[in-house]
Amino acid sequence: MKNKLTVNISPHLHNNESVSKIMWIVGISLIPAGAAGVIIFGLNALTVMILGILSALVTEWLMQLLAKRRITILDGSAFLTGLLLAYNLPPGVPLWLPAAGSFFAIAIGKQVFGGLGQNIFNPALVGRVFLMASWPKYMTTFTKPLNFDAVTSATPLAVLRESGVIENISYLDLFLGRRGGCIGEVCILALVAGALFLFWKGYISWHIPVTYTAVFAAFVYAFGGDGLFRGDWFFHILTGGLILGAFFMATDYVTSPLTRKGQVIFGAGCGILTAVIRLWGGYPEGVSYAILMMNAATPIIDRFTRNRIYGTMIPVNRK
Amino acid sequence: MKKLFREFFKGVIKENPTFVLALGLCPTLAVSTSVVNAVGMGAAATFVLMGSNAMVAMIKNNIPAKIRIPCFIVVIATFVTIVEMVLKAYTPGLNRALGIYVPLIAVNCIVLGRAEAYASKNTLMNSLFDGLGMGAGFTLALTLISSIREYFGSGKIFGYALSHKFEPVSIFGMPSGALLVIGILLILFNRLKGRKS
Amino acid sequence: MVKLREHKKETENKAIEKLAAPAKVYIPLSQHIGKPCEPLVKAGDYVHLGQKIAAAQANVYSPIHSSVSGKVAGIQDWPHPVLGRCRAIVIENDGLDKLPGSQACRPSEEINSLGPDKVRDAVLEAGIVGMGGASFPSHIKLNPPKPVDTLIVNGAECEPYLTGDYRLMVERTEEILKGIELIAKCLGVKNVIIGIEDNKPEAIEIFSRKSQVTGPMAMVCFPTGKAASYKIKVLKSQYPQGGEKQLILNVLGKEVPSGKLPFEIGVVVHNVSTVFAIYEAVYCGKPLYERVVTVAGSCVSNPGNFLARIGTPFKDLIDPRGLKEEPAKIIVGGPMMGIAQFDDKTPVIKSTTGILLYSKKEALLNEELACIRCGACVRECPAFLMPTLISLASKKGLWPQAKVYGASDCIECGICSYVCPSNIRLVQHIKRAKLEVAR
Repeated sequence: MKNKLTVNISPHLHNNESVSKIMWIVGISLIPAGAAGVIIFGLNALTVMILGILSALVTEWLMQLLAKRRITILDGSAFLTGLLLAYNLPPGVPLWLPAAGSFFAIAIGKQVFGGLGQNIFNPALVGRVFLMASWPKYMTTFTKPLNFDAVTSATPLAVLRESGVIENISYLDLFLGRRGGCIGEVCILALVAGALFLFWKGYISWHIPVTYTAVFAAFVYAFGGDGLFRGDWFFHILTGGLILGAFFMATDYVTSPLTRKGQVIFGAGCGILTAVIRLWGGYPEGVSYAILMMNAATPIIDRFTRNRIYGTMIPVNRK
Repeated sequence: MKKLFREFFKGVIKENPTFVLALGLCPTLAVSTSVVNAVGMGAAATFVLMGSNAMVAMIKNNIPAKIRIPCFIVVIATFVTIVEMVLKAYTPGLNRALGIYVPLIAVNCIVLGRAEAYASKNTLMNSLFDGLGMGAGFTLALTLISSIREYFGSGKIFGYALSHKFEPVSIFGMPSGALLVIGILLILFNRLKGRKS
Repeated sequence: MVKLREHKKETENKAIEKLAAPAKVYIPLSQHIGKPCEPLVKAGDYVHLGQKIAAAQANVYSPIHSSVSGKVAGIQDWPHPVLGRCRAIVIENDGLDKLPGSQACRPSEEINSLGPDKVRDAVLEAGIVGMGGASFPSHIKLNPPKPVDTLIVNGAECEPYLTGDYRLMVERTEEILKGIELIAKCLGVKNVIIGIEDNKPEAIEIFSRKSQVTGPMAMVCFPTGKAASYKIKVLKSQYPQGGEKQLILNVLGKEVPSGKLPFEIGVVVHNVSTVFAIYEAVYCGKPLYERVVTVAGSCVSNPGNFLARIGTPFKDLIDPRGLKEEPAKIIVGGPMMGIAQFDDKTPVIKSTTGILLYSKKEALLNEELACIRCGACVRECPAFLMPTLISLASKKGLWPQAKVYGASDCIECGICSYVCPSNIRLVQHIKRAKLEVAR
């Protein structure tokens, strides 16, 4: 034998999936929403995205250098965090804001916990909440959409919170994103397209997003109107960051439960919390807080939704 | 004398109440919004610590073991009352800023903790310097935390606005910001300590 | 459970080819679960083909037979495909394949009158072990401590590349059916189910035809006309369909209790190769000294299925096939559970199902990254464990935690490592935990 033989433990096959492949494909699935954001809000939105991503990458690199970890800025996870954070910002923010948010998201939201896979909270949402708490002025100032007849510069949800009535805006406008809001959250059409792509690729399952949306809609329908079962659930699904949150943020592998059962509980919890915050809370929007709260509950959900091991507590007949 | 110095420095670095023992975090979160408050709180706590440590060390042999905690509390409360009266009389502004946290020194874990863990087992002088050291460590930690929070949270330092343009990060003014700052300082502190040992 | 890329195309249509015995065979003294054998011969002795050359004094053991005729050259330490190294009897082949006396086939009347004890003795004497890889002595499985009612014949062959069982099923259907009948009689079972994956339509077809039925799941009669309820169950091709416990679940919908053996729920599982060996042992008095081995992998120019003598060094199997490139990894068994070898002088043993030769590219190991909690291992684990949690506990040395997570219920099928996007060697960490938990 000329070669030395490789000896390692079985299995000797792999399905060729990799972390970076998953991350970049999720990144691709977010392109339509970003493109829609740029079309609706103009090139400023693109600058915000680029700065968010750049800052995330640089922070990741710096933190890994400081902690003497392996540099993995090209695995796509920091890119995704920066991009998702930018999607959660209003298009007209000062340009240092996405940079600061991404820095916080990666440094405090992710690397401090030990890097990818160790973080308890979704880093992009940590960044967003940090920005909300630090510079609420910028985070709640929304600019008008560029190319369409903008009805208002405030988000429909903010209008609802201020005046108590749903403004006169058609479902179609909401669906296409002709409204004020954050860069990545306004165009539901683009988000749904990206989500369908992810479903097709098998990188997300229905368990979190569908339960989230359904429970949220049911809750809003029941309690969101003047009287029981008179809420405008469709309006609530189409506004705010619900679709972005449910399909792209709550489904983050690291911060959601491992089992399908756990994921359903997680989704339901997110749905109820979002609805409660929107209907009775102090903020017009509750998606990020709801997801972060359920992130915190993930370990305990995991603990109580462990799989039944083969051959233990045997059901009489599984068929 | 050397031993007394050691007792003193122990409280500042090796057994720093905030960063190592993680005691007395409630007042730390609440009053570290500005350096002035922090130093005031630190001074008040130092006084109470020294007083209660000294008193407990003196009477330690006369206290029955079963009721020692209530006795310590009575001693501590006495000194806290003194501090509160002094603050009210001479620095009403600071007293208002510190608010409920001055009387709450009475239940500050550092004070009771040192009385129970140290003063009740050691001599008067040692206890006095232990109290001073712990107080100094607490004050130092509070000052450090509050200067960071004041600088980032309101763009001021010692109450003076900084000349350059700066968007204050309001999260540092909130208790969650205090937790963040303490956390980051803890990382650095442990890192430095870890290197030494 | 996962659908794998099967790589079976290259060998599945190649008929089993009888391989010339090598000049020297190296027969390890331990080829089964249980007590290793002690040699019955010494250097210089002349042995016949099929002569018993090693045995042990124990309940759980299986004797070992010479696979050639010739002179014993010695007993020495030699590479072993499973154990790493083991003592082996080296025999110089004289090429005559001389039998000890006359190896007479039993007439069929005699077979029909054989009692279960006689069958069991014949199986023990022939040294038959589970040939799917587990190498558990078969005579023990013919004598379960509790009465059983179901015999499952495992024709799933779920490991990629391997097609030896499939070839046997296609080429030796009648013999296998006779073997099944023997075992069924021996166990006194009423239900016989042959489980075959749906990627082997030809095998399904031929079994259905030979037993005078068409289509799966039909009640048929034994070839001899004896009535017994006997079905063919077509299984989805997915790995690890052929794992004993998974097979039982997918065929019967029953689970084997944790830490117990299948007979506890009245089931015995035998591999088709084992069934064929039992047929040969009882009908022809032929001990287990040769078996079908699949030689495949991207380095082999001429892959196929070969009837190889036990003790044949891999080199003698590989070299005549022709190599496209020097292999960088030699695997014994399937790619999912097989064992990577450090030497090509290692001999074929009773449980060697296949030899795979991997090229440099395939042998490449990716770096282990942090778990991103994607849950793929949790979803696919056929034992319904949470592999990532066990592996995490194992890495941190938290053995009690690993035990709570069910480390000892792992069947080491390798699915978790296969699907892990972070390339975590989950099986490795879980095996470690298993050892520690058992301690």
